Amino acid sequence: MMYRSRRFVLSGGFAAAALTLTGCGVATDGAGGDSGAGAGASDGEVNGDITFQTWNLKGGFEEYFTQLISDFEEKYPEANVEWRDLPAEGYVDKLSADAAAGNLSDVVDMSPPAAYTLATAGMLVNLAEAVPEAEADYLPEAWEGMTFPRLEEGTYGFPWYLNTGPYFFNTELFEKCGLDPANLPTTYDELFDQGDVMAENCDDVTMIGHLPTIETLGEYGVQLMDEDAAEFTFNGPKAVELIRRFADLYEAGGFTDESLNNLLTGEVDAFKAGQVASMPGSAYTLTELKTTAKDVYESVEISPAIANTAPSMAIHTLVVNESSKNQATALAFAHFATNPANQMAFAKEASIFPSASGLLDDPYFTEEDSTDESRVRVETAKQVAEAKVWAPPMFPEASKTFLHDQVAQAVMGKKDPQDALDDAVQYANERIATTE
Amino acid sequence: MSSLTAPRKGTVEGIPRRRLHDWRKPRWFVPLLFSGGALAIVLVMTIFPFFNTLILSFTDATMLRPGHFTGIDNFVQLWGDARFTRALFNSTLYVFCVVPFMVVLPLILASVSAGDGKFMGFFRTSFYLPVVMGAVAGGLIWTNLLDSRGLVNGVLSWLNVISEPVPFLTDRWLILISAMVVTAWMGMGYYMVIYLAALANIDTTLYDAASVDGAGPVRRFISVTMPGVRNTMALIAMFSSVAAFRVFSEVYILTDSSGGPGGNAMTMTMLIQREGTGLQAQTGYAGAISLVMFAILAVLLALQLTVQNRQEKDA
Repeated sequence: MMYRSRRFVLSGGFAAAALTLTGCGVATDGAGGDSGAGAGASDGEVNGDITFQTWNLKGGFEEYFTQLISDFEEKYPEANVEWRDLPAEGYVDKLSADAAAGNLSDVVDMSPPAAYTLATAGMLVNLAEAVPEAEADYLPEAWEGMTFPRLEEGTYGFPWYLNTGPYFFNTELFEKCGLDPANLPTTYDELFDQGDVMAENCDDVTMIGHLPTIETLGEYGVQLMDEDAAEFTFNGPKAVELIRRFADLYEAGGFTDESLNNLLTGEVDAFKAGQVASMPGSAYTLTELKTTAKDVYESVEISPAIANTAPSMAIHTLVVNESSKNQATALAFAHFATNPANQMAFAKEASIFPSASGLLDDPYFTEEDSTDESRVRVETAKQVAEAKVWAPPMFPEASKTFLHDQVAQAVMGKKDPQDALDDAVQYANERIATTE
Repeated sequence: MSSLTAPRKGTVEGIPRRRLHDWRKPRWFVPLLFSGGALAIVLVMTIFPFFNTLILSFTDATMLRPGHFTGIDNFVQLWGDARFTRALFNSTLYVFCVVPFMVVLPLILASVSAGDGKFMGFFRTSFYLPVVMGAVAGGLIWTNLLDSRGLVNGVLSWLNVISEPVPFLTDRWLILISAMVVTAWMGMGYYMVIYLAALANIDTTLYDAASVDGAGPVRRFISVTMPGVRNTMALIAMFSSVAAFRVFSEVYILTDSSGGPGGNAMTMTMLIQREGTGLQAQTGYAGAISLVMFAILAVLLALQLTVQNRQEKDA
């Protein structure tokens, strides 16, 4: 009897140890982390240790962030911020692993789709409730960009930096392929028309180097979601028309097989190699061309972003973990890092644009000096005012990849554009994260 | 008068019988002490994830939500998913094309480099180098070689063999063929080493006898070497078919993670990775794909084992 009992206990111990060691498995409600107001409750005092996680920023901006943290700790001597910077490669995978294991950092740098997914799982602080007064500190479009429609109008991240940019054209290729560099395209129709001419005259150069994305569809005038933001609707005639234009261009030799595969980096490489004549960019793109492709830089012309509607804008955000043990400190730090002074300092360091209200009126963004960089900066700052965050937060990376594949199939003529978009819409609708 | 005294009754050389009895008695926990660590690792890293995947495949679980039981919905959905059928086809094709090469080529290499010639050590090391290099480094080298602006297209263009670059990395079939070449290049050295060990066990008098009978090198290879390593060939066929069906790194790196234009060259493991990672991961659906993959591999292995056993009985 004793023998059996001891064996049972030891075997049970092994099993328990194994299960404890796994630390994962079939997810439990709450995704492995405490959720709800109680778990994240704080005493309101700004003190204690917090972790701050950024996305590949240590390389170029270590000094800025060290100073930022130092300033915060000076303001709140009882607080201590530990900075963790993760490489760009696999960032979202690491984020999802941390989230599933309940190990999310207290303050995290992320994109709206990632924030939306975590917010639906109850893992982020609703700023509209926690710090409603913060809304006045940011541009309305930026605050709205982090206010998720399906989540009781909650706002789940402090808007941080914005990015949009002009279009870059290689005028030498325009001349080579029988086009007038003084008459650069300003609409999608002109871009495709000139792309056809380029395809006819040049075998080794194309006008466009990337497939349309969800942002392109928005810029083209496609309605991406219904009024209630309940379902995606980017499979209408307007979207089909855009895909057909790409398919026609591909058939005419004005769009390469490599561009079907290209994501952002591939397009930039092709532009730098003089194989693609136009591409959307940012203030950072100019610096990159200047340092890594001087020949191309010499013949680059910059014009406002091509868009039938508003140009696209990307937004980065700092979110606060709902289960943070020092939630008040985390909220204070995220708010501090995104305040006007710190955003302005970061904008000057990183060629990005601030989301804090009033900063775009600063002479830094309105007055040009003699440099190309300032010309692009001022041009782009004007664009920020009219730009829109087209990518819906409910459109995660998986849906973007699926859309890319479907569009590629349609452009290659292996699938009807309508069917391809229908499938992409269905896939995206099935993956809208819900709070249920 | 000797100072030595006989052991007392009930003891062996002074050790009390009861203690001796305690140590010699088989204890149920002793095997566990020896195997416990390994068992725990297998339990945590293999058994538990397997059953977890099994359970997940019948749910609509995502990365952050446990999901609900959905019966066989995921499996029904799979058959309507064009990506799945394409990936299944690509992985199956990979097995049929790669395995014969992986079984025969390393054997030829091993036979050629089995001697004690002056440069044999160098050749053996060279063939094994890709194994040490790993899939990522090897894949990147081949990506640079096969790119439209890479060395292969450059040389072919320079020789006026082609007027336009060969789309090694953008055409579905050429991507798969390129990946198969990379797999063969990386795997040959590993299997060659296994064959070298098997070749050492073949009685050299058999070769002498074959030579006396007038057999040339090819005949000796077919009539002596191949029968001599038949079991090893079956083993390598098994290993390489499992590895080929699970191919990931080669296609992933050659296509810069896209699976080719429109995902046409995607394999089963790439599809699992795509559906099963990220914040919006559909872990239930990815689990269903994994389970189907496991079932196919299990059937494949069972078939190979059956054929092997039958051959051994016939022999």
